[in-house]
Amino acid sequence: MRDKVLMAYRSIQERRTRSILTILGIAVGIAAIVSLVSVGFGMEEAITGELTMFADLISVVPGKISGATYVEQGSFTDRDLKDLQRIAGIKDITAMTYDAAEVEFRSKRTPIFIFGGETEELGSFYVDPVGLKEGRWLRENDYKACVIGDRVANDFFDDPVHVNDKLIINGEKFIVIGVFNKASTLYAADVDPHIFLNLRAAKDVLQTDDVKYIMVRVYNIDDAEEIAEEVAETINDNHGIEDFATAITMGSALEQIGSVFSILRGVLVGIAAIALVVASIGIMNTMLMSVMERTHEIGVMKAIGAKSSDVLTLFLLESGIVSIVGGVVGCIIGVLLARIISLVASSALGIEFSAGVRVMVLLAGLVVAISVGMLSGFYPARKASRMSPVEAVRYE
Amino acid sequence: MIRTEHLTKIYRMGDTEVYALNDVNLEITEGEFVAVIGPSGSGKSTLLNMIGCLDTPTSGSVYIDNVNTATLNENQLAEIRRKKIGFIFQQFNLVHTLDAVENVALPLFFSGVRRDLRLKKAKELLESVGLGNRVHHKPAELSGGQQQRVAIARALSNDPEVVIADEPTGNVDSETGNTIMDVLQGLNKDGRTIIVVTHDPEIAARATRTQRMRDGKLLA
Repeated sequence: MRDKVLMAYRSIQERRTRSILTILGIAVGIAAIVSLVSVGFGMEEAITGELTMFADLISVVPGKISGATYVEQGSFTDRDLKDLQRIAGIKDITAMTYDAAEVEFRSKRTPIFIFGGETEELGSFYVDPVGLKEGRWLRENDYKACVIGDRVANDFFDDPVHVNDKLIINGEKFIVIGVFNKASTLYAADVDPHIFLNLRAAKDVLQTDDVKYIMVRVYNIDDAEEIAEEVAETINDNHGIEDFATAITMGSALEQIGSVFSILRGVLVGIAAIALVVASIGIMNTMLMSVMERTHEIGVMKAIGAKSSDVLTLFLLESGIVSIVGGVVGCIIGVLLARIISLVASSALGIEFSAGVRVMVLLAGLVVAISVGMLSGFYPARKASRMSPVEAVRYE
Repeated sequence: MIRTEHLTKIYRMGDTEVYALNDVNLEITEGEFVAVIGPSGSGKSTLLNMIGCLDTPTSGSVYIDNVNTATLNENQLAEIRRKKIGFIFQQFNLVHTLDAVENVALPLFFSGVRRDLRLKKAKELLESVGLGNRVHHKPAELSGGQQQRVAIARALSNDPEVVIADEPTGNVDSETGNTIMDVLQGLNKDGRTIIVVTHDPEIAARATRTQRMRDGKLLA
């Protein structure tokens, strides 16, 4: 067997340029699969990883979400909050409010969304994942203090805003006690352009008692779906409108993201599969050419006593070696490519993620390379082995 | 040793049938040196291919050591080609990617002989045909006569009982042709059965028996 491998290797080497091109063809196909799937896994892990931290949360909004559009129907009342407290399985409830306000800093005025909530809950939702660049988070008694997002600090005013600077919100002075880091894509829309106050201050400065957002934390994640339904029903009953409120569990958000990613992965694998089909046609072409070109040689081998199986083995080994080398090269390129893509994508999208290079993906890449190579090599090899020696010898 | 019975090979060309071999009955005993002579298209090469198990007859049969080759499967035929028969072609038919010694060792490769052993034997054979200093030359680097001697060495590598040569001197000059015939005669003296196809009466004269062919038939 070692001899046959050597022999096959010799004939690959003899046709070096073509062999290298074939190897490259397979390598590109495998690299495409490995890198695309790895990047897909990496993204999914990064996003679901962040979301899993909030798996026990239910967000409740006073409006209807269908697809990407949100239609606000009004706001929550104190009665809503009280009724929710009676639902079994709920650990705590946080009411939040938000609205636009006019904000002034060093005589530049601009409208900015103000977010108010119970400081501890709000903090666990935003400070833990995003983190503060300067200062500290709000406390219950920080009545005239605010924490600002990255864009508020750096983009909205002529000068950058820092801790201890004063902002005038709807005519009232607030001192900046904290500045958020620049948030990742997942949080950018929620944190970067906003100013955060404690609930009482927000209600005063926005001159509203409206609660626009309720977060419910449950004891048991498995009950989240059921409790979400009950929450929505309770609020709908209070307002006498069937679709007044929407309650979303993070679990269902996760599921949605999961299904989006499985579609994405399917598309990526599909693209890679096309690359692979092209590569396998390439192998088959190379092997067929090799068989045609060596018809005479095959005839000679048979004339001097080679069995059909000998010829078959030699040609299969040839395509096997080409495809293994192609597979290994493809895996290496694929891993490098995945690293590069995730680096570029991380900085472009602002999501921290690293390509999820899994041993399984690499193994699958190799198995695919070898089976594609062998399958595309099989037809030419069998054709070669079945040649009648006398006709093959006569072929020039 | 070798016997053909009513050996017939028909090639169909469109609607016409061409008899390449027509009821050929030939018996060759061990140790004979037979020259098959005839004009081109007389069927002598076809006869050789049948005896060498490279081709199958339309009807009739070839017996080698009293075994009807028509009853053998492809692997058994390959074994006969590998063990009992050494084939020498007019076109040498060396594998151009392999050097001389590897070409000679090729039949041993298919017999599963270890690499070091088969290369040693191949070297000895090359020395015996006067090419001891050319073992690592590729066919393209050898003259026609040298290539034919490599081909002879290859035909002998499995120590065959029968050596079949199809116009072995057809592509070399007359001097080299004589050398090749010397080698074949020497092999015959060692006890091997030699069958040579040629259209050159001078070459045929060196055989112990001459068989004439015309239009696919053996002439008495």
